[in-house]
Amino acid sequence: MPTSPTRVDAHAAASSSALDPNLLAPRDALYGSAVSAAWGARKRRERARSSDRRRKGQFKKLLWFKQPFPDNYTDERTFLDHLQRNPRLQPYEFWSLMTDATVIVQHVASVAIFCCCFVAIYLERVSPISVVSWASFGTFLAWVLWDYWMVQEEARATSSLTGKSQEKPKQPNDNIAGSDEAEDPSAGKEQPTIGNSPYPPNVDPVSSLSPRNQQRLATARSALLIYAALLGLSPILKSLTKSTTSDSIWAMSSWLLFTNVAFFDYGSGSGAHLPASISTNSALMASTVLASRLPSTTHVFSLTLFSIEVFGLFPLFRRQLRAKSRNGNIALTVALVTTAAGAVFATLTGGGRGAWIAGVILGSIVTFFAMGICSWWLIGLQKYKNEIYGPWDPARPIIRRHWD
Amino acid sequence: MPYNIAMVSDNFYPQPGGVESHIYQLSSKLINRGHKVIVITHAFKGRKGVRYLTNGLKVYYVPFWTVYRETTFPTVFSFFPIFRNIVIREQIEIVHGHASLSNLCNEAILHARTMGLYTVFTDHSLFGFADAGSILTNKLLKFTLSDVDHVICVSHTCKENCVLRASLDPLMVSVIPNAVVAENFRPLSHHSSDPRRNNVPGPPQPLGPDDTITIVAIMRLFYNKGVDLLIAAIPRVLASHPNVRFIVAGTGPKAIDLEQMIETNVLQDRILLLGAVRHEEVRDVMVQGHIFLNPSLTEAFGTVIVEAASCGLYVVCTRVGGVPEVLPNHMTEFAAPEEDDIVAATGRAIAKLREGKVRTDLFHGQVKQMYSWTDVAGRTERVYDGVVGAVGSEDFYGGDAAHGHPGVRSFALIDRLKRYYGCGIWAGKLFCLCAVVDYLLFIILEIFAPRSRIDICRNWPKKVLGRGEVKTTDMAEEAEAILRKRDMRRRGSE
Repeated sequence: MPTSPTRVDAHAAASSSALDPNLLAPRDALYGSAVSAAWGARKRRERARSSDRRRKGQFKKLLWFKQPFPDNYTDERTFLDHLQRNPRLQPYEFWSLMTDATVIVQHVASVAIFCCCFVAIYLERVSPISVVSWASFGTFLAWVLWDYWMVQEEARATSSLTGKSQEKPKQPNDNIAGSDEAEDPSAGKEQPTIGNSPYPPNVDPVSSLSPRNQQRLATARSALLIYAALLGLSPILKSLTKSTTSDSIWAMSSWLLFTNVAFFDYGSGSGAHLPASISTNSALMASTVLASRLPSTTHVFSLTLFSIEVFGLFPLFRRQLRAKSRNGNIALTVALVTTAAGAVFATLTGGGRGAWIAGVILGSIVTFFAMGICSWWLIGLQKYKNEIYGPWDPARPIIRRHWD
Repeated sequence: MPYNIAMVSDNFYPQPGGVESHIYQLSSKLINRGHKVIVITHAFKGRKGVRYLTNGLKVYYVPFWTVYRETTFPTVFSFFPIFRNIVIREQIEIVHGHASLSNLCNEAILHARTMGLYTVFTDHSLFGFADAGSILTNKLLKFTLSDVDHVICVSHTCKENCVLRASLDPLMVSVIPNAVVAENFRPLSHHSSDPRRNNVPGPPQPLGPDDTITIVAIMRLFYNKGVDLLIAAIPRVLASHPNVRFIVAGTGPKAIDLEQMIETNVLQDRILLLGAVRHEEVRDVMVQGHIFLNPSLTEAFGTVIVEAASCGLYVVCTRVGGVPEVLPNHMTEFAAPEEDDIVAATGRAIAKLREGKVRTDLFHGQVKQMYSWTDVAGRTERVYDGVVGAVGSEDFYGGDAAHGHPGVRSFALIDRLKRYYGCGIWAGKLFCLCAVVDYLLFIILEIFAPRSRIDICRNWPKKVLGRGEVKTTDMAEEAEAILRKRDMRRRGSE
C-alpha cells in the first residue's frame, strides 16, 4: 500500500501550499529529514513567489532593459529552459554489439593460435613445414577470394564511372593514394583496393595483359620477393637474440603480444588501410624474438613467414570479410574460436583428442558468455550517461565546402 | 555604507582585454560611490609593486610566477602570506575575484574565507562540460565557489552555466551585465558638444542602391571567434552584393586563412585588412562602417556588439551564448552559426539599410540608456550590501525565500568544511584537507607575523559630499597627498 498514501499526501501538499506556502506540507513530514522539508517548503514558497511576480510582469531573459526583479531573481519558467541532456544518444542493441565484439574475439583467437603453433613447433610435436604450408595454403585461398571481390568491385566502379565520366574524367587524388599504399611491402601480396580509379598503380597501360592480370603478377612478384628475403634473413634472425636467456625471451614476447592485442586497430572502417603499425610491429618483433629459441633455420623461416601471414595479412582479410559478408564473418569467428580454444587446451594439458574436444566446448561457451556479459554490461552502463548541452557550448559552425 | 573592497584577478592592465577593462571601470565607479577599492594582480613584465591609477585606484602587482599567457602557477597556498599582509594593511572587508581561470582569484577567495572576509566572484566566461580540460576547470571552480558569498555573472546564459558548473543555489547568483563607456563609442556624425542635435536627430537618410555599404568585423582571429564562418561567408556576400566592402581588423592564427581567401577570390580591392587594432582605436574603425558582423561561436556577453551598436552600426551576429540577451531586436539581425544563414542575415541587413528601415542614428542614445558602468556599480553595491548583511536577507534573496539563506554565511571552520565535503567522493575530502591546511597556515601566520606588526596604510584623501556622491578634495591637497606618498615610498626604498 505505498502508493495511495503518497498520492493523498501530494494532494494535501498541493492544497496546503495553495493555502499557505509557509507551512510545511504533510509530504515534508513523510520524508522526515529536516533538510528536505525545508527545501520542499522553500521550493513551494518560490513557486508561490514566482506566481506573485508574474502578476507584476513577465520576466524575460534579456539584459538591455531594466526589469522589475532583483538581479539574483531566478525565473522558474525560463531558467535552464535550453538545457538538453543526452541529445545525441543512440541506444546500443545487444546483437549488433555482439557482432562488433567478434572483431576483438577474432584477433585474440588468432594470437592464441599463433602461440599454440609456436609451442607445438618448439616442443617438436608438429613439423614447422606443415604449419607454414597449411597457413600459406589458407592465405592463397583468401587471396583468391580477395581477388574475386576486387574484380567485382572494379566492375561496379567502372559501371558507375562511365556514368560520371562526363563530369570528372580524371581523378588525380586516387592515383596518389594508390601509389602510397603500393609502396608498403606487407600490403604487396594482397593489393589494397583502389576505390574507383580506372588505372591502379603499377599497371602499365600499354601492356598486352589486362590491368587485373598485371596486378596479379605484381602481387605474385612481391610475394616471391618476401619469400626470398625471409629465406636469406632466417640465419640472421635465428642468432639475433640467441644470447638472451629464455626467461627474458618469454617475458618479452608476452609483453609484445599484449601490446599487439592492445594497440590493434579494431575500427570498423571497411577501407583496407593497414592496422596500426605499432601493433603489427610488436607482433613481428615477438615472433623474431621467439624464433631464436628454435633449433634450425627452417624452423625460423617457417615461424617468421607464419607470423607475417597471421599478423600482417590476416587482419586485412578479416576486415574485408566483415565488410563483405556478415555470415562469413560469423563463420570465421566460430572457426577461429573453436580452433583457438581446442589448441589452447591441447597445449596446456599435453595433447589428446579428448582435451581438444573439451577445450572446444568449454572455450566456445566461455567466449560466448563473456561477449554476452560485456555487451550487456555496456548497455547497462548507458544509464549513467549524462551529457549536458546548452547555449553555453561553443557552436559547431556549418560550412559548405566548395572546391573551385 | 562604504566598504573596503579588493578586486583580485590575474587579468589586469597593462594586459588588454575585456575582464581587465571590466575591473577597471567597475572599480573607478565604485570609488565614485564612496568605496575604497584596490586591485591585486600579479606582476607583469616591467611592472611590479604598487601603482596608483586615476581616481586613487591602488593596484598591487604581486610578484608571482607566471606559467602561460599571464596566468600564474596554481600553488593553492603560496599566495596566502602576501595576500594576508595586503588585506590587513588595506583593512579590506570584501574580496571580489574575477575570471574563473584566474588562479590568483581562486586562491584569494579561499584565503579570504579563512580570514573571515566576505567574498564575491564574477564569472566572465562560458565553459562546456564535455572535454577533459573543462571537467578539471569545473572541479576547481566548484572548490572555490562552494564557499563563496555571492556570484555575479555577466549574462543569464552565463548564470545558468555557472550554476550547473559549480552546483550553486541560483538565488546566490546575480546577473549584472557588462557595460560600455558610451562616450568612447560615439558615431561619426554625433556631436556631443551640441546637446540639441543629441536629442533631435534629423530624418533618417536611406542609403541609395549605389552607395557603398561597409561591413566591419573586429575580432581576434581565433577558431572560437568564428573566423571560419567569416572566411566562408565574405566571398558569397561580396558576390551577391556589388556595392559592399569589408573591413576586417584583428590578428591571430587564422589570419593566414583569411589572406588566402582574399588571394583565391581576388578580392583585394573590396576587403581591407587592418591587422591588430588597439582598444582605443576600435571606435575609429567601427565608425567607418554601416554593419558590424560578429560570427562568434561562443560568447558570454559580447561587449563588442554593444560597442558597435553604440557607434551606430547595425549588428549581424550569431545566436550563441549570451548574445541574444544583449541587444534589442531592432538593432540586430541574428543568424544561426551556419555559413548559409550568415550570408542570408547579412543580405537582410544590407536590404534594410538600403530601404532606410533602420534608424542607426538613434542607436547611440539608446545604448547609452541601456548600459552604463554607474548602473553596474550600483547593482554590484547591492550585492555587497546583501553579502555583508546590510540589506536584510528577506530583501536580498527576495520575499521569504531567505529562510534557507542566513543573510551572512557562517565563517566557522566546521561549516566551511561541511560545504567543501559535499563536492564529491574524493574531491570533497581533498578540498577539506586544503581548507584545513589553509586554516593552519593562517594560525601560523597570526603567530609569527602578528597583525600588530603590519602597518595600516593611509587612504586616498576624499571628501564626502551630499547624496553619497564623492569628490576628491581640491587639487592642491590631492597633489600634496601624492607628493607625500612619493616621499614615503622613497624613504621606504632607501
